[in-house]
Amino acid sequence: MAGAFGLLVSGTAMAHGVTVVVSSPSTMNIEFAEQFKEELLKARNKHLKIKVINLQDGDQLIVDEPGELVVAVGVRALQLTSKLKANTPVLGVFTPLPTFNVLLESNKRDLGNFSAILLDQPFSRQMALMRIILPGSKNVGVLLGPTSGKYAELLQEAGEKSAFHIADEMVPQEADLIPKLRKVLEENDALLAIPDPMIYNRETAHPILLTSYRHQKPVFGYSQSYVRAGALAAVYSSVKQLARQAAEITLVQHSSGLLPPPQAPRYFSVMMNAQVARSLSVPLIDDETLRRKILLLEGPQNDELRD
Amino acid sequence: MLNPRLIVPIFFTLSFSTGISYAEEVTSIAPSKIVYEEDYIGEVPKVLTISRLPQSIADSPSAVTVIDRETIRAAGIVDLPEVFRLIPGFYVGTNAGYVHSTNHAVSYHGLTTAYSGAMQVIINGRSVYSPLYGGVQWSELPLAIADIERIEITRGPNAASYGANSFFGVINIITQSPQTMSTSSNNSIIATHGNGRNEAFYRQAGKWDQLSYRVTTGFREDDGLRERNDFKRTRLLNAQADYRLNDLNSVEFEFGLVDGARGEGNINEDPILFLPRTKQINNHFQLIRWRHNMSETSDLTLQGYHSFDRSDDQSTSIDISTLFPGAVAPGTFINEKILVETERYDVEAQHNFSVGPHIRAVWGGSVRQDSMLAPHYLGTDKKDYFDLQRLFGHTEWRAHEKLLFNAGAMIEHNDFSGTDISPRMSLNFQPSPNHIIRIGASSALRTPNYLEEKFNRFVTAPTVFPGVSLLAQFYASKGNVKPEQIVSREIGYIGKFGRLNIDSRIFHDSISDHIRLRGRRAGDFIPPPGFVRVAGEADTGLNDGSAVIDGIEAQVKWQILSSTQLLMNFAHVHIRETQEGLERNYEKAMPNNTFSALLTHKFNSHWDASFAYYQASQATMLGDGDPVDLMRRADVRLARKFNSGKWHGEIAAVIENVFNHQYEEFADYNTLGRRARLNVSVNY
Repeated sequence: MAGAFGLLVSGTAMAHGVTVVVSSPSTMNIEFAEQFKEELLKARNKHLKIKVINLQDGDQLIVDEPGELVVAVGVRALQLTSKLKANTPVLGVFTPLPTFNVLLESNKRDLGNFSAILLDQPFSRQMALMRIILPGSKNVGVLLGPTSGKYAELLQEAGEKSAFHIADEMVPQEADLIPKLRKVLEENDALLAIPDPMIYNRETAHPILLTSYRHQKPVFGYSQSYVRAGALAAVYSSVKQLARQAAEITLVQHSSGLLPPPQAPRYFSVMMNAQVARSLSVPLIDDETLRRKILLLEGPQNDELRD
Repeated sequence: MLNPRLIVPIFFTLSFSTGISYAEEVTSIAPSKIVYEEDYIGEVPKVLTISRLPQSIADSPSAVTVIDRETIRAAGIVDLPEVFRLIPGFYVGTNAGYVHSTNHAVSYHGLTTAYSGAMQVIINGRSVYSPLYGGVQWSELPLAIADIERIEITRGPNAASYGANSFFGVINIITQSPQTMSTSSNNSIIATHGNGRNEAFYRQAGKWDQLSYRVTTGFREDDGLRERNDFKRTRLLNAQADYRLNDLNSVEFEFGLVDGARGEGNINEDPILFLPRTKQINNHFQLIRWRHNMSETSDLTLQGYHSFDRSDDQSTSIDISTLFPGAVAPGTFINEKILVETERYDVEAQHNFSVGPHIRAVWGGSVRQDSMLAPHYLGTDKKDYFDLQRLFGHTEWRAHEKLLFNAGAMIEHNDFSGTDISPRMSLNFQPSPNHIIRIGASSALRTPNYLEEKFNRFVTAPTVFPGVSLLAQFYASKGNVKPEQIVSREIGYIGKFGRLNIDSRIFHDSISDHIRLRGRRAGDFIPPPGFVRVAGEADTGLNDGSAVIDGIEAQVKWQILSSTQLLMNFAHVHIRETQEGLERNYEKAMPNNTFSALLTHKFNSHWDASFAYYQASQATMLGDGDPVDLMRRADVRLARKFNSGKWHGEIAAVIENVFNHQYEEFADYNTLGRRARLNVSVNY
């Protein structure tokens, strides 16, 4: 892939632009590029030149200035841009945490100029959501696969802080999914879905959500789509929210030349599936109230309460 | 700034709110597969669409009790109807009858006959209610207990959702969806051996591309009660498949087949005609269902099924010359072919939708045709057809976070009783999340069955006098029986106190146009020329009398410890005649008090045990039933789970009626004692 586009960096002057590299012209990616531009415009920053490169159109990946920020939208874009010269700052968006770690390591990039806004919501935020929706619950089940398995300890810690007992169950192969799922559902009050392509994918959505429903246990998802499919609720960040955060980082990088370390989504939304809530007899709380309650639990470091 | 060389390689992790932390060194191997953004935010097909999300018990317009797989397992039952002992207000009685009645009698709030006739029974949306005597031949259902996911029992009439004959209640059996069974191939073997009982089932579930399937096949051998000809040998095959056409459409298929031999005949009850003999049964069904997710807020379901039930019984009487010496030539036997073939075609459409966050509704319609070939009962070799059409609708309106209204109605037209409407209404008030008060009124109809509307059953025997035959006319229906009607009013309370859940209600049921059988008087029934009537009442169905059933019932679920649970059920039912004309013993056809309890305890991840206790006060059942005394029964079950890699499963021992109380159920000829059995299930 890299060869097909060429990794060129031209010019030597000080950085005064930002290049947005999108993996494909998907609705989401295009929306991101537009929202990102809008957010920068809102910040009245007229000096930043924004260039959008669409990998699928065969656009050449040309970054005008060394030291000029590259915003890589999607994993494919990040894979490619991670191969740029080590002093080109790259910010990934729509980046899953496991992928970021892989690329960081495999391309010998360093955190000073290789960063991302991750797709992963902090566990503590997810715990807060569960605590608000299920105030009396104690036991939360988690299925961990080859990708998500390494977060077991962090999950336990986050659970403890929210007074949840996290019962994690390793699913070594897909054939074990249903038996392990049943076990977790029988022994716990809810299932918290942690992304792992082997466990949560298009094909397993039916068995997971149907089995959980038959056990009358709520599933906490990680995306709007999973909530629409039948999970009870999820914390997620919209494209606009991620674009806002990306714009903020861009401005910081532009003025200071420093790229902040990889970070979790700063702005987020909550979605609860009202039909599922009713059917499971879970009191319905509106999405905005849920978000505000989470912010309160997250504490004063969140300035978003002022929104 | 950090020296880049020092932080690479580093493993970045996410541990608290919006902050960051860095774990020490990464030693783990990178996942073999790169995770893409689609794995997080890609589209997922909508699974729990509105039609798959029934009302919660808190929102339900009537009392609903759910028996799940785990309860069925803990109860250690081998005959499905036995589990209904764990529903408040239910009566269950083993019965070894003499013709077409060797099955469990199951009733709720009374009208206990051999046929469970006052309840609708549905398996995955398919009615298995038989129009002949009304009710269900439980042992002949092509259904293995191991395949049942849950049973939802509506206590109280619910015609608006389940149609006519949802009279005293509805039993809705839901089997495991193949989609929830396995993502790869999965086999199980389930075997039971014990006093008078042998069973073995093989089950396979799997997935091919977008098709998930489950096939269960096996046999059951039940010797029945001691010294009685009520054995049941059954072979069954049941298959279910779900095929996902795309994200919005799926098609479900079901198929079942059951055949076998049944011992019937009870000399205590009938020493003349229905002597001990063996009959054959042969039933099958096919079902197809299309689910279409029309939008975020609406679903369309279209379902069609066909079922065919055949029962072939050949009976030979004693030499009837012994009854009529001199009039009937010695060596005269009455040979009867008791053939019953019931066939059903049913098509139903249902549309579920929601309007805003506060209104949910369902409406639909169905068309059904039953055909009945029963020469022995109907006195004709011709098939009789019974057509039925219905329209139904139900709305749930959450007027306020604490207030929910339910309203619905069904309009039904059928060949027997014309057009009728059954409405219902209820209000659920939830003053706090843990307390719900429900006030409701619901009506339903019970369509006269063939016994009540069309039976014409007689036997004849030649005499030694030329041109003269003997006639025993048992039934001579005049027809035109109106449906029996129930109006049920209730106040229910559902509450949660810590680990204790209570579901209780007070009810007041009014039954009018009661259908009963009455012998026709001599002037009303005239035998054809050449026949002399010697026996039989020439019964006909007619509407006569009214009754009121009052009572209180409760279910308590107490999670004593995380490993110990107690389920208790209690009901007090009082039946009284409000207008003369009810069938004899009608007021006594339900025990005044019933109680059941199931205590389960998990010792560790391997061992668990349960203790069940059932009690029913004395009662006198209708039809073939008799007065039966107080019954008490205690069952124990001890189970050990095992897991040896590829093989996992459970071994369980069950002792039914541990204290060996010799009690009677349904009739004085059904005496039960202690029985034990061993059950092994292996999954691989």
